[in-house]
Formats: sequence, structure tokens, C-alpha cells
Amino acid sequence: MDTPLIRGIGLGRTYGALTALADADFAVMPGEVRGLIGSNGAGKSTLIKILTGAVAPTSGSVEVKGETVRLGDPSEMIRRGVACIYQHSNLAPAMSVMDNIFLGRQPTGRFGRIDRRRQRADAQALMARHGITLDLDAAVGTLPTVKQKEVEILKALALDARVLLMDEPTGWLSAADVVRLHTTIRGLKADGVAIVYISHMLDEIFTVCDTMTIMRDGRVIAEAKVAEMTRPRVIELMVGEKLARDSAAAARVPRRPGGTGEVRLQVRDLTRTNVFRDVSFDLHAGEILCITGLIGSKRTELMHVLFGADRADSGTIEVDGRPVAFGSPREAMAGGIGFVPEDRHRDGLMLGLSMTENLVMATLSRFCRALLLDHRAIAARSTRSIAELAIQPPDGTKAVRLLSGGNQQKVLVGKWLNLGPRVLILDEPTVGVDVGAKAEIYAILRAERDKGAAILVVSSDLEEVMTLADRIAVMVAGRLVAIHDAEAVTMARVVDEIGGAA
Amino acid sequence: MNASIQAFGRRLAPQALPLAILVIVAAFALSEPAFLTPGNLVGIVRQVAITGIMAIAMTFVIMTGGIDLSVGPVLALSGVVTWFSLDAGVPLPLALGVGLALGIAIGMVNGVIVAFAGLPPIIVTLAMLSVVRGSALILGGPDLHSIRGQEAYSFIGSGSVFGIPVSVLIFAAVAIAMVFVQRATPLGLRVAAIGENERAATLSGHRTRLTKLSLYAISGLGAAIAGIVQSSQVHTASATYGEFGTELDVIAAVVLGGTSLMGGNGSIARTVMGVMFLGVMNNGMNILNVPLDIQLIAKGAIIVLSLALGELKS
Repeated sequence: MDTPLIRGIGLGRTYGALTALADADFAVMPGEVRGLIGSNGAGKSTLIKILTGAVAPTSGSVEVKGETVRLGDPSEMIRRGVACIYQHSNLAPAMSVMDNIFLGRQPTGRFGRIDRRRQRADAQALMARHGITLDLDAAVGTLPTVKQKEVEILKALALDARVLLMDEPTGWLSAADVVRLHTTIRGLKADGVAIVYISHMLDEIFTVCDTMTIMRDGRVIAEAKVAEMTRPRVIELMVGEKLARDSAAAARVPRRPGGTGEVRLQVRDLTRTNVFRDVSFDLHAGEILCITGLIGSKRTELMHVLFGADRADSGTIEVDGRPVAFGSPREAMAGGIGFVPEDRHRDGLMLGLSMTENLVMATLSRFCRALLLDHRAIAARSTRSIAELAIQPPDGTKAVRLLSGGNQQKVLVGKWLNLGPRVLILDEPTVGVDVGAKAEIYAILRAERDKGAAILVVSSDLEEVMTLADRIAVMVAGRLVAIHDAEAVTMARVVDEIGGAA
Repeated sequence: MNASIQAFGRRLAPQALPLAILVIVAAFALSEPAFLTPGNLVGIVRQVAITGIMAIAMTFVIMTGGIDLSVGPVLALSGVVTWFSLDAGVPLPLALGVGLALGIAIGMVNGVIVAFAGLPPIIVTLAMLSVVRGSALILGGPDLHSIRGQEAYSFIGSGSVFGIPVSVLIFAAVAIAMVFVQRATPLGLRVAAIGENERAATLSGHRTRLTKLSLYAISGLGAAIAGIVQSSQVHTASATYGEFGTELDVIAAVVLGGTSLMGGNGSIARTVMGVMFLGVMNNGMNILNVPLDIQLIAKGAIIVLSLALGELKS
């Protein structure tokens, strides 16, 4: 029992000049549930990718049951019993539970015929052993999310997985389902499975984990037994002295809760059934309002309604004192709303098009003269944006695909600044962006604020919220539970509220 | 060393198609001097004009990840309808207008179903292929309708200006107009944006569904123009023209021009080159008396080969 089931020694990974992970040691014993926590960009996902073989480390080694393994080879890790359950399902929804469990390696009889009887017996034995009950013949797509997670767990166990990596396993689950999943996890633990539980939700870490590893800026900065930790101490470790430094710097930037006092966006009792309800707040000219909360607290869904990509069922939205009901993003834009979406690759940019084309994508009609594109005006606009936002390299003809994440994000922000919206909404504006570009994006947003823009930022990154916000709103499970002046609130208080209703 | 070869390959890749055309032109010219005569060269363009017009008009559709399989029957129906109009004594401009409007209307129906109902383009236009062919047969029956005493109409397909066939001029005009649309109008940029990332285009405030609808209308219009050119070229209209395989030639030309069937990058000018490439191949093989069966096999092999090379470069 002294040999860890899985162990990473001195793991490091660099991407060009960016260090994603440095000198990380990590070990999980049989029957241990280890929480892995850290803010976005702390290096958690890089570590997990190394452990699943999706990525080869640039330094260090991995041992499974004391044996050194070949790195960067997913099939090797699966063979050795390391499985990962991702946040998003990897199941085939139209196929039955049983077929999903054995997908790709069905027990076969003569002539390659699938041995259904043996498959069923194996599946039932597996379920009995781990105390999971599922209808083996149901199509996976018809099951509730928590059951689908169980199917994924069974699928991993059918591969003789002894190490289960679970990435935000409760992201889409209700409170009751979280309890159910935790019961399953305790069963696995009793059976000697080693579990790595990655979550932003401290409540869950404290409920289900035995130990925790805390990461920050690509390093493992603390390991501890959960019983010996307190929540404020964990947060302090997660965000570190950097936050102290940043918030000191941010404190020197005067906060402007309430901005100029002019209400740009007024939201009252906004409700979308079964998503969020009774959301009310004001956003003023000249302020940055950050809405924070857990993943799944429906902040993005709220933004989609404000931007006309979804409809509300009741409640009112006013822009500059005029009631609005946007039926499409196009209408919302005409009504003065700009929206920088969270996923820049999926929703934000045309990666194959040039920087210039992307920068004018939301304002094309302004660059038309007699139905033709005014290429000269477009080039001038692009040159100005590139200079103002310090986009590197300063070459508008370059395809956005070729830029770094931070510069891609600046192009995306620039595209919406060019619209000059009355209200600019940004959803997780610095996800996957390095520290330097983050600071630049903050500076850009502050400059816009000082020019009188009304800015609404959705962010899960508390560090970001504490640095950037003039006011902080907290959303929990579809309700806006509190709004604070950023100056007058402590991080600990915000954290408590974020986790409060869970 | 390897890196410099790759860099060289990258610089060369965009020129691959024009280079390939030059190479085969040179090869055919060496083995059969008659190939290079002005008459033959103009003849090549004349042979590809009909396919070319449709390929140009379909390029935008394919750039957005769509396809239009209904162009063959639309070609036939617009020819038949124009013939009926002329036969009934409708003045030529109006008759042409009816034929063209019909193509646009069919394209719009395709577009509405694809863009607003969200059905897959391949199924929608395949169904439309069947519906339009059936309609053409109801209207025109299986017979050839010969067009007599319509000199102005015949001029479209058979006439020439300064020795250049009118059909070639129409092909050139369509090409120039669409290159212009792609490079100089918002529509061109919008098509590229939708092909790259339709979701992001919608979230940037573009009316992506309306745009897609208009692209299918353009494709339908192209097929109608092709139908009129063809019927006036052969002095007949028939419900059976644009037989099965027409749409495949059109799609092959677009794809040879480097437009991906998955959508995204694409160019009208390169589609024109794709058309010319196929035209030169056909003509050269005819001149060299390559049997038709071998020609078909060679054509298929060349299409796959050139696409494989295109994949290799990316």
C-alpha cells in the first residue's frame, strides 16, 4: 500500500516561451480521493493531459504502480489503467448503456459475433461490485446527466481502470445528483480506486476528498489533508501573494462603483424558466461590473439573453432608459450591446480570415460605400486598432489562426470596441491568455471605462474579479444573490457567497 | 533542408493549379501541334462555358459548407420554359427573364429550406433535383423542342462578336462579375465569414440565414443562365438536358479550384481555373484520340490526385 497508484515526478511542460507546468510532483494512493484545485491557467489541465498521455511533458516522468511509463501515449495510459472522465460526455448518445460500456472492445464469440450474454453478465457484475444501478438497454442519450456520468465511470472500470481522473464532474449536475455522484465515488474508493477530483467548487472538495493538491502559476504550491485545511487558507494558497500584489496595484487604480451615475443598462426580474430567475441589476456608464459565480451558475445564459441570442420568459431590460426585447444578436447590436463571447474559437473569431477582416466583422456596414467595401477605410481602421491594442505582430493581413491566444483575444475585443457599444459584455475575457496579455486586456478595459463605457464582465477567475471590478455581483444557481462595491468587500466574503447555496 | 523544402512547397502550393494547367497545355501542344491553334483554344473555353457558369455560381454555396445538386434539372427546366415562352410569342427579353427568374426561384426554395429549416443541403437539393426534373418532364415531355426562326435567341449560343463566341463572353462576364462580388462587396466577405465560422458570423450581427438563402438563389440563377446558353447553342430545348453527372462536373471544377467541400476558404478566380483545367484535359484527350472510357477514368484519377496533393500541402 506504500506505492502510489500513479505518480508524477518533476513534471514540466513549456509551450514556446510559456511555461504551463514546472517541476510538479503528484501522487495518489489506492483508495485515495485527491482534490486538484487552482484558478484557470494554474496548470491543472496540463497536468491531467500529461497523466492521460494526451501531452508529453518536456521534463519529468510518470510512474503507474511503481513502473515508469512511456509518456505522451494515451493508449499506454489506458492499458495501465488510467482513465479520465471529462467534463463533456464522450459517450455515443444513440447507443445503449451496455454498448457504450464496451464500445470498441466487445467480447466476441465465434466468427467475431458479439457475445451479448457475456457482455451483459460482465456489465452486471461490474455494477454489482460498485453499487451502481443502470438500465443496460436504455439509450445513453435518454438518461439524465448524472446517470451518463455513471456510464462513463463504468466504461472506465470495464477497462480495469485503477486511476480515475474526473474533470469538473459535477459541472452540469443538480445538488441531489452531486450527492449521488459522491456516493458512487466513495464506493470506488472503498474498492481501492485512486481518484483525482478536479473542481472549482471548494464545497465538493471538502465533502468528498481526502487530500488536496493546490496549483498556481504552473506549480504545485501545497499538498495537504483536507481535514487539516480551512477554506480561507485554501483560497489564499490558490491566488497567492500575486493577488495581494495585484490588488494593491488595483487599489491604486481608483474604483468607480456606480460610474458616472448614468444608468446604461437596467435589468429587472429577468427570468428564463429553469435557467435563471428574478435577476435585477443596474449597469452605469463608466463602471466595470463583474458577475462571478461557479461554472454552471447560468451567467453565460444570462448574457445570451441580454445579447438577444436567447429569449427571457419574463422581466424587463432597458438600455438608456428605453425598454428593449432583442430577437437576435443583430438587433441587440443595433440597440447598442456588444458581446465578447467566452469561447473565442467557437463563437468569436474567423480563424482563417485575416486580423483586419476580423476587426471589422461586427461593423461591416460602416465600411460600405455605394454597396462596395471601402478597403482603404477598413485598412485604416485595422491599423488603428492594432496600434491601440498593441497587437503582435502588427500585420493586419496575417490570419488570426497564427496569433497567440492573448493576441487573438485582443483582436476579438478590438472587433467589439470598434462597434462602440453603449454596453459592452465580455464573457471570461482572459481565459487561456498569458499573464502579460491579461494585464494588457485589463488596461484596455479600464481605459474604455474611463472614457465612459459601461462594461459587464462575466468571470470565474476571482483574481480577475478582485482586480478589475468596480462592483461585483455574485450568481448562484441561476440567481443573482449579491452585489457589492469592490472596495468594500473581501474576497473571503465573495467566496462564501459563491459557494453559499451549493 | 527539410524546412526549406516545406517553405518552398508552401510558396508554390497556391500556384499549383496554374502550373498544372501550363504543364498539360505544354504536353498536349508537343504531342499534337493542332492543340495550340487559336481556334482550338477558343473552342476549349466554349466547351466549358456552360459548366463554368454553374461552377462559378455554386462556389459561394460550397464555401459555406453547402452544395447544390439540383443544377442539372434547373438547366433543363429553364431551357424548356424559355422555349415555351418564345413559342407562345413572348418577346425575347421577357422570355429570358422568365427562364432566369425560374432559376432564382428554385434556388430560393433550396435556400429557404437549407437556411431557415436547417435541413442538410445535400438532401434538400437532391430532392429538388428530382422535383425539378419531374416538373421539366411534365412540361416538356421526353421530346426535343427545336427552336426555329429565333435568330436573336440563337445568337446567344452560336453567335460571335469579333470572332469570340457569345457563350464565351457570357462565361467571362459571369466570371468577372462574381470575382468582383467576392473581392469588393460585403457579400464576398460575409460568405468567407460564414464558411469559416457561421456561429461567430451570427454573433457578429450578420444575417447568416438570409445570406445563405441568397447564395442558393445565385446558384439557381447560374444554372438558368447555363440552360439558356445550352438550349440556344443546340437550337433545342429538352427536359432531359443537364443529365445525371452534370452537377458532378460542376462540383469537381469548384473543388479542383481549391474550395473545400467542408466550407471555408474558396475563390471564384480559382474555380475558373479549375474549370479551365478540366476543359484542357477533355480537349487534349479528344485531340489525342484517347477513348472515352479511358478519358472518364483519367478524369476521376486526376480529380482525386489533385485533391490529395491539396490535402498534403495543408
